[in-house]
Amino acid sequence: MVDGFCKPAPQGESPVVRLRALTKTYGREPAVCGVDMDIYPGEIFGLIGPDGAGKSSIMKAIAGVMTFDGGTLNVFETRIDSEKSAERIKDRIGFMPQGLGQNLYPDLSVDENIDFFARSRLVSPKEAEKRKRLLLEMTRLAPFSSRPMKNLSGGMKQKLGLVCTLIHEPGLVILDEPTTGLDPVSRRDFWTILSVLLREKNITALVSTAYMDEASRFHRLSLFYGGRVLAHGSPEEIMAAVPGALVSFRTERQSEALSGLKARFSDVQARGSWLRVFVKGAGEKDAARQVQEAAAAAGEDIVELRAGAAELEDIFIALLREKKLTEESSHSVFTLSESDSIYREEPGDDGADIEAENLVKDFGNFRAVDGVSFRVEKGEIFGLLGANGAGKSTVIKMLVGLLPPSAGTGYVAGHGMLQAPRAIRERIGYMSQVFSLYRDLTVIENISLYAGIYGLDRRQSRERAGWILEMAELAGHENRQTEGLPMGVRQRLALGCALVHSPRILFLDEPTSGVDPLGRRRFWDILFRLSRRERVTILITTHYMSEAEHCDHLALMYGGKVIADASPGAMKRELATEAGELLEVDADDPLPAMSGLQEAGFEGVSIHGRQIRLLTRDREAAERRIREVLAERGTRIVAISEQPLSMEDVFVYRVMAMERNGRQRP
Amino acid sequence: MRDKSDKRHAGLFTRGTPLLGRFLVWLRRLRVMTVKELLQFSRDGALILFMVYAFTLDIYLAGSGVKLELSSATMAVHDSDRSSASRELINRFRPPVFDVEGAISRGSEGVRLLDEGKAMVVLDIPPRFEKSLLSGAPTHVQVRLDASNSVLGLFAASYCRRIVESFGLETGLKRLGIDPRQPGRAPQVVNAYRVWFNPNQNNKWFMSIAELLNIITLFAILLPACAMVREKERGTVEQLLVTPLTTFQIMFPKVLAMAAVILAGTTLSLFGVLRYCFDVPIRGSIILFYAVTLLYVFTTAGLGLVISTIARNLGQAGMMAIITYGPMIFLSGAWTPPEAMPHFIRVLMLLSPLHYYIDASYGVLLKGAGLNLLWGSVLGMGTLGAGLFGLGMWRMRRQFQ
Repeated sequence: MVDGFCKPAPQGESPVVRLRALTKTYGREPAVCGVDMDIYPGEIFGLIGPDGAGKSSIMKAIAGVMTFDGGTLNVFETRIDSEKSAERIKDRIGFMPQGLGQNLYPDLSVDENIDFFARSRLVSPKEAEKRKRLLLEMTRLAPFSSRPMKNLSGGMKQKLGLVCTLIHEPGLVILDEPTTGLDPVSRRDFWTILSVLLREKNITALVSTAYMDEASRFHRLSLFYGGRVLAHGSPEEIMAAVPGALVSFRTERQSEALSGLKARFSDVQARGSWLRVFVKGAGEKDAARQVQEAAAAAGEDIVELRAGAAELEDIFIALLREKKLTEESSHSVFTLSESDSIYREEPGDDGADIEAENLVKDFGNFRAVDGVSFRVEKGEIFGLLGANGAGKSTVIKMLVGLLPPSAGTGYVAGHGMLQAPRAIRERIGYMSQVFSLYRDLTVIENISLYAGIYGLDRRQSRERAGWILEMAELAGHENRQTEGLPMGVRQRLALGCALVHSPRILFLDEPTSGVDPLGRRRFWDILFRLSRRERVTILITTHYMSEAEHCDHLALMYGGKVIADASPGAMKRELATEAGELLEVDADDPLPAMSGLQEAGFEGVSIHGRQIRLLTRDREAAERRIREVLAERGTRIVAISEQPLSMEDVFVYRVMAMERNGRQRP
Repeated sequence: MRDKSDKRHAGLFTRGTPLLGRFLVWLRRLRVMTVKELLQFSRDGALILFMVYAFTLDIYLAGSGVKLELSSATMAVHDSDRSSASRELINRFRPPVFDVEGAISRGSEGVRLLDEGKAMVVLDIPPRFEKSLLSGAPTHVQVRLDASNSVLGLFAASYCRRIVESFGLETGLKRLGIDPRQPGRAPQVVNAYRVWFNPNQNNKWFMSIAELLNIITLFAILLPACAMVREKERGTVEQLLVTPLTTFQIMFPKVLAMAAVILAGTTLSLFGVLRYCFDVPIRGSIILFYAVTLLYVFTTAGLGLVISTIARNLGQAGMMAIITYGPMIFLSGAWTPPEAMPHFIRVLMLLSPLHYYIDASYGVLLKGAGLNLLWGSVLGMGTLGAGLFGLGMWRMRRQFQ
């Protein structure tokens, strides 16, 4: 176990929050099972874990809005054991609940919202006005001060939420998943503002997130699963909790290699055209050698191979396995029965399975989708990547015939979506964003229902049910009502039901939203097999940047437009040629250093916990310049290193480029 | 390319299958959807409990508890005569209809009692009441009554008039030397009436049947509306809309399933409460009653489906059901005779399916009427039902297209 409690925390100071053996049970469901935690003044402390891991319960307990069943909790050295004691410290706490703008009033303007919070917190009007002006300026919300909150974008709502939470200058802010569903640009913006504000006012923050890739934003963090802490400490310490290296490689026969390697390594995963293997307990070179040997033993030729550091998600899953908190998936290699003539392939038949031509959708005055065109080739996994509200779901709904387009058209399985919506419906499977099976029916009843709807007879229906249960690894759940199933299992069932009539084309709208990393992996494993073995064409939307790598082809959506359309690899290569590589600067005092570097004209400057990241084309010149700039400001540089580009970098860069062009034009 | 790919993507229920095959698939879709609705209903314990209550206890309470006739009307008497004639008149106001609470000494006290709601009827007998009668001169009594409940007020007024009139008549006859107990000798019209269909004028019959019809109406609106809105709320309807199901195939099974549930409830009520507890006769064909009920449920379910296309969530659906339920009952003639309504309301009544259903079900149950007498109601209901169902389908299609 990582021992992170003493080292990076400021010495000698007593913790703002001290949690010992906290437990909370809802009915019979345990939500938090004995959690210890210490949060020290001035740090940004992270809670990372999937939905249902107990993050919100802990935050609510600390904010004093929820009672707990066992353990002790001290906030600001006050023992919280009753509503009365919680009341005593409430004016020193700011709490922002989960959900975009959940604590705000939609019909009040930005100004009115802030005023309301200030008054309800008994801030004197003069003082409130001063703080409001300052905060609005920092969050760049000042131009929108008279706009009703409901007309703000997701990012702006969260910034306003932050302002309202900070207006009474609390000593501790508790933010429950403030960045979920935001686009990467707003997310970066939010983190920067948060870091600056907290620093200036010397506020301590407790922030939760479901995005594993946000770990680097925190000074220290706890990794959660099932109400328990898997690991805690600084990001580096947690990464070191499970030593090992990540090897990615490409081969000709990807899916055969996948099953070949699974016998040897516990954590093998296909991601787009790559296979990635987490080799535990090995250095990078050793890991590469091990993978090469295994591949050679399985008779696979490696085309390209890279070895590097693992991601937090790999560590998370390795920790779960170590603690035996997960049932191993059987990784059933499903095969289709002979009667499934529909999957028998006519060789040489290729072309686009889905085409969008200049699709436009207006809702009143609001243009949700603005001239979207793309082509999905047969058998390909095509990803639409973007924030909530970017227009992804609207595009899918138009293609499957749930919404009529305002302009433009599309073709699915060779049929025009305007001319033959019924023919399209018979040939596609669709999984909508919310779990859309019947919660009061059992697994098998749901499957039979959809089998009947698609006109399968009793025999076919039984066959397909068997196939779905095997494919989606649902054995043992057949007669349970779907209401009580875990998220991951439900989503696999929904996928199965979408496949009941053996469609060639699948539309999946955010199928992995809210599913834990392990569940997401299993889901992607199934999608990979469907795509590679059965040549099913898959159009999938997601707001997890990390999932983009799974797709063969990507379209990035922002504000209803496609801002980039290529394979993930090509996108990163393009970014590398246009903007260069990603440098990480580890500096003593990152905040002034960041503004210094921004003023010096560096591109893509963002803050990640104690590090600053930026893009540069010429590394040596950049390093020199960085040292100059920071020396002027008297900031000591600990290290400068190169980091691999992520999909988030691509996304942010593309959006920034688009906005720059937009600004130049008028 | 686009034509060629059609073959490749041919589904399991491809076009080109024979007509019979396609019909079988159509039936299968209807069946699985109906079974689904019934399964969902069977898992909703609270709803089942509510339905059982509504179809048994609620109807029992309505039949045995609610009385429409006047009883125990409190009465105060201001007798300024205090004679044997006045006492005789007062004695004729008897329980169970009247409850003489006591005498008052001043007329203004009567006003006070009426104002305070302590008396419903105040009878004023003037001085020299008996003397006038004996001398053969006409005299008056005054009855003041509280008609804030107009039906009860009306009843009280007519009772009072009857009592005073018969008292007057008898006094007159006596004076003419005719024995009022043998009225045959006087030139007067004797009213001999025969009560048909409910000879004992048993209110329980009327009330329990009326309540059953109300409950059927309530559930026929509410159940399909809620089933549909729940699908909208949870997003399951989207999943259905991307399947090859037509709008009709999505909506109709809900009506089918809910009709089955409501018929089951009706059976429970008809035999468990109406016949067992109140001995309501079933004079006509029970099959005809079920057929009419089924038609009515379809018609009203059409209304429920229209509601479900307007409402966005269960709360709204419930509110709208209540809002439409009121006028439906009002326009049905369940509480008030249609003949007493102004002309334009009687025209509006043609739009209330409950109006036809009441006609038909009282006809079958109490009068033993057959289709030959009821075809008008059946036709009216059918036309309304087809119209409502069509409207619901149209709105639903428009909403999702």
